[in-house]
Amino acid sequence: MTSAPDAAKPDATSDARQLGPRDREAFYKAQSRNRRATWRMSALCFVAALIMGIPLTLVLTPLVYALTLATADVINYFSPLPPEFWTTVNSLGRLAYSVADYFLNHRGTLDLQTLGAGLVVMLAPGIVITFILWTGVLALFRRGGVGGTLASLNAREPNQGDLKELQLHDVVEEMAIAAGLPVPHVMLVDSSGANAAAFGTSPQDARLVVSRRLLDDLQRDELEALLAHLIGSIGNGDLRIAFTVTSVFETCGLLVTLINSPFGKQSRGTLWRILRYGLMRSSSAGAKSAEAETVAVLLTGCLDMGDGDIDRFVNNPKKSTWRNFLFLVFLPIIFSNMAMEVTLWFFFTLLLGPCMALLWRTRRYLADASAVALMRNPDALARALKRLSQAATDIPGGAWASHLFVVSPKGDSSLNASRSSGEGMQTAARAWVESAPSVAPSATSASAPDDFKALRMEMNATRLAAMSGDPQAIERLAAFARAMGAARGIQVPANMPIAADIAAACRGDKTAIARLQALGGESRQNEAKRGSTGLQAQSSLSFHPSLKRRLRRLERMGASYSPEAHGKKSKAAVIIMSVLGLIIGPLLLAAAGMMLVVIAMLVMLNIMIVAIWLVVIHGIFVLLGHAHA
Amino acid sequence: MILILLAASVLFLFFVAAIYNRLVRLRNRVQNAWSDIDVQLKRRHDLVPNLVEAVRGYMDHERGTLEEVTRARSQAMASGPDLSARIPAEMLLGGAIGNLFVRAENYPSLRAAQNFQLLQEQIASTENRIAYARQFYNESVRQYNTVQATFPQNLLAGAFGFTPATLFAASAGDRIVPQA
Repeated sequence: MTSAPDAAKPDATSDARQLGPRDREAFYKAQSRNRRATWRMSALCFVAALIMGIPLTLVLTPLVYALTLATADVINYFSPLPPEFWTTVNSLGRLAYSVADYFLNHRGTLDLQTLGAGLVVMLAPGIVITFILWTGVLALFRRGGVGGTLASLNAREPNQGDLKELQLHDVVEEMAIAAGLPVPHVMLVDSSGANAAAFGTSPQDARLVVSRRLLDDLQRDELEALLAHLIGSIGNGDLRIAFTVTSVFETCGLLVTLINSPFGKQSRGTLWRILRYGLMRSSSAGAKSAEAETVAVLLTGCLDMGDGDIDRFVNNPKKSTWRNFLFLVFLPIIFSNMAMEVTLWFFFTLLLGPCMALLWRTRRYLADASAVALMRNPDALARALKRLSQAATDIPGGAWASHLFVVSPKGDSSLNASRSSGEGMQTAARAWVESAPSVAPSATSASAPDDFKALRMEMNATRLAAMSGDPQAIERLAAFARAMGAARGIQVPANMPIAADIAAACRGDKTAIARLQALGGESRQNEAKRGSTGLQAQSSLSFHPSLKRRLRRLERMGASYSPEAHGKKSKAAVIIMSVLGLIIGPLLLAAAGMMLVVIAMLVMLNIMIVAIWLVVIHGIFVLLGHAHA
Repeated sequence: MILILLAASVLFLFFVAAIYNRLVRLRNRVQNAWSDIDVQLKRRHDLVPNLVEAVRGYMDHERGTLEEVTRARSQAMASGPDLSARIPAEMLLGGAIGNLFVRAENYPSLRAAQNFQLLQEQIASTENRIAYARQFYNESVRQYNTVQATFPQNLLAGAFGFTPATLFAASAGDRIVPQA
């Protein structure tokens, strides 16, 4: 821009398209830049996993030792173990004690060898066990892959007789040829959301799931751009990365399940299912991957706090001496479980989850650049993303693997905010007028769609009437909600809370409260059925980059420049946001620091409790042994 | 001392083997990409008779166009592996098919027919596939040429007989002006 000749200056203001973004970037460059960023993000994830591993190991190792020693005691009671066993145990214990002493109380001196040996004793069992579990999870799920439920529940083959579906099939083949990959298997889903995803474990067994709504909404080249994004990401090996990311979550879930298993049916059921899946000889790939996904959902569901078998055991209001006895005997396991849950929750949500989200975002950018490389047409992808930002993108059954979709299924309003609200108001106004009852008294519904002020007064009046129980007003509000939903392509659930119920509940009407609670419980159940636990729920940062940022990168690659896509933030808003950030930031850091301290205390407490428990058990057996002899 | 020399030579051998394998893999990709273009061209040959049959009933007065398409197709199929004859023949066939679709715009009953729309989609897709196959071929050639000419590999490429491949570029003589 600075080097534009003088003659071009008079044109500069008249045609913004000529200037375009200052920092053009060829898609090759964008691709290599994102690949390098992937390496950085992977290193970050690795470091984060190591950091998370330390408290986990410190929780797991004492438990392992305690259980082994307790079983050794039991065995010793029946048939004495060789004395070398006990001398080794003694020396190991002394070693660990001296190392811990050195760290905590700064007492005594340590040479490197003792330090190394002590650390190995303290950290190794946990690391080894976690590693073994992880390898097991990788081997187990490699055959099943991800996304099986979606593909097997309600997906169908494209019908070659229908023009649009034939186009889809052709577009997929074209993009596969452009990328030099084998053609992935395409399935269609008839849902009201518009989205597409790629599933599988490798380019050879990749599957694409596309929703029919996408075919209807997009033009051929926009569809091509989205599929180029998906096929590009398959070619870049994103399926492998997704698999690895998921396996980390699954390993932690498996760990929690194993610890929970003596306590309740749920975890035992999960373990049984895992075993069955491992031995399954079903020839149908669909059934196998569906089972794989069910197992995976169960495993990652364990990471939710407060819902495991042990928690149910502890919170059980039935008090009996047998239960108290069991509580005492299994105290270390219970405590370790709690410590582990807190640690996992904290580190996943705040550390490992966001790191993986950042890694995944880099891969999304890379896939965007690959889409441009395949199609040589950045405009098509930009247009497709803009169109998708306005549509509903939720596909039922896909919430578990939501990170695999092209656009976030929860929708992305980063573009809507900056678009002028005139369009939104127009839609609302039209929906309101539509919802007017056909037998309208002339006084209320004479307002034209353009008269916003009158419409707003009308809406307020109707709302007040509805709150006091007027059935006509309630009906009109419901019709309005339905019309708005239809305009945005979202299906409004039929049993939305009625305004009268809300008003009555505010006044303390018990039946209304009960009804609302039932609705709330139902919606939560629906969400759980749709599987809103999932990788996305474990991370505080979204796995999908915002559409605005993606569009900006596309514009740097040459998509046509449209000024309205960049909302101007007023200076006041920027100042307010930065001040809030400065105030809230340190508070958040302090809270995180406190959580870390809490976790450290939990770990220490865990070690102490385990040690005390072990001493008690050992003492009991020694006494019993003496009494026997 | 002997051990160090042995270890160094083993490492060197691995290095050389890695370079050789990479060059072989890339060269095979180039050759496969070339035969993929071939596959798509043949697919277009196979679709032409269906197209001619589908439109014959509707476009009675366009016999000249239909004959042109059929002639171009048989010429393209007979042109053999020699590239200098093959590429112009294929471009002629592409032009003839495009001409046929332009004329078909004048027949609304034909345009509305379901099987014509499907055929049109198939042929448009085939043209796209040919274009993308060429794009992929050029990509592979670009990668192969780059690897083969950059530093550690260029020392060994000549010794192993890896020569640069040629890009699929439309040269000036191939651009055929459609006869009105």
